Amino acid sequence: MKGYIVRNPKLAWREVDGEMVIISPEDSQVHELNETASLIWKHADGRSLEEIAERISTEYEVSLEAARADIGELVTTLEQKQLVFVATEVKG
Amino acid sequence: MAKTPVMDGLISRTVERHLPWSVHVDLTYRCNERCIHCYLDHEDHGEMKTDEIKNVLEQLAQSGTLFLTLSGGEIFLRDDLFELLEFARSLHFDISLKTNALLIDAERARKLRALSVRRIQISIYSAEPAVHDAITKVRGSLERTLTAIRFLQAEGLQVKIACPLMKQNLMAYRNVQALAAELGVPYVLDMTITPKMDGDMSLLQLRNPAQDLLPILQDPTLNPPSSSQDSAQEAPLTTGSATSSGIESQAYEDIPCSAGHNSCYISPYGEVFPCVQMPVATGNLRQQRFEEIWFKSPEMERVRAVRESQLPVCSKCSIRQYCERCPGLAQMEGGDLLGAYERACDLAELKAGLAGVQNPISALHAQKPNTKGLCSIPSLVATPAVQAGSN
Repeated sequence: MKGYIVRNPKLAWREVDGEMVIISPEDSQVHELNETASLIWKHADGRSLEEIAERISTEYEVSLEAARADIGELVTTLEQKQLVFVATEVKG
Repeated sequence: MAKTPVMDGLISRTVERHLPWSVHVDLTYRCNERCIHCYLDHEDHGEMKTDEIKNVLEQLAQSGTLFLTLSGGEIFLRDDLFELLEFARSLHFDISLKTNALLIDAERARKLRALSVRRIQISIYSAEPAVHDAITKVRGSLERTLTAIRFLQAEGLQVKIACPLMKQNLMAYRNVQALAAELGVPYVLDMTITPKMDGDMSLLQLRNPAQDLLPILQDPTLNPPSSSQDSAQEAPLTTGSATSSGIESQAYEDIPCSAGHNSCYISPYGEVFPCVQMPVATGNLRQQRFEEIWFKSPEMERVRAVRESQLPVCSKCSIRQYCERCPGLAQMEGGDLLGAYERACDLAELKAGLAGVQNPISALHAQKPNTKGLCSIPSLVATPAVQAGSN
């Protein structure tokens, strides 16, 4: 699984009961992430997707392949909403 | 404004958990306008320094605060405003500002944009300079404020106009509506004129008699358009709009408002109150940690324990559904957090009358001998929803 994931720096966010609540300042949209998506969000600080897949595989006791598949789907959704960006390499 | 399912659910959870997720911080009471209805004294009695405010912001972030409103006084009189905004953004707050905008130029608008400030609320009292400037007591203030709004809009920032209504500008709401439409920004009319924070009641003479508000209560153009942008989606991600005031949430069904439940107010001196309009001192951040005040202050717990169904007078009122009683103003004006707030009774009688209730009399007026309900309305139209807000 290739790529690195970072949060959109414009967003405001806070954890409520283990789930992330995210607000976009541009359109005032509120997004609420479920537990797994929240875990991805927490780790979206420039880590590799592979590293996050390994973490989820361990934490949820699922196979690495299953974790990769879940992450791929979730990251695509988060990216479409412009909540995260996926880069091929980490800058800086 | 309309609630949204996402926001409604979040409001319920934060109220249940007493999570202080919306906090209003006044950075200063100093101001470069002298608005005739202002409840502040415009003096600096020892404002929190930059590091003290940063410390407060850190505590709020740790406590779960998401919505941060910075207001005053005039916040742009703080030399450290942008330093504080930058720090607040590093803590991932959603930031709204309240300002008269006189000190906002193109460069400052650009910086606000760069800091991802979500919304800037600006008071405008009339589209006529003579009326607006007479209220602010600053000649040319309307023109300067409008210039600033255009700088903010040029940066793509969300601006909202707030129009407090008093005797001096009651019917100006129409030209403020037109101005907001021309600018393409939302607006809120605020019929609340409050006593000064030191208890001085003289400002109440600026308040319009309730009967004079009938044209506003009957104006069908004041039905705000729904702001709901919900697209109820399946997990893992649900989306709603943060523009809802949230006050319609079912979470508030038997509590008077959000004050002390999931929101509070912090003064420039570090004092914590349940709300800017509720003079119940609960502690000071210069002496105590925020969480100690929020969770353990007996005063905060007293406010939090109030239930509308247990209010001695208001719980028996037959027109409660038309009432927007403010517990803070009940305390300020009547001296009783649990008491009726007579201004709300007057307005509720008007609204109930407009809705077709025969001889609507509030419980407060019903128990007072020789006191009649206000409402005697010859022709009725559908009751519009005029949103009240704070200035």
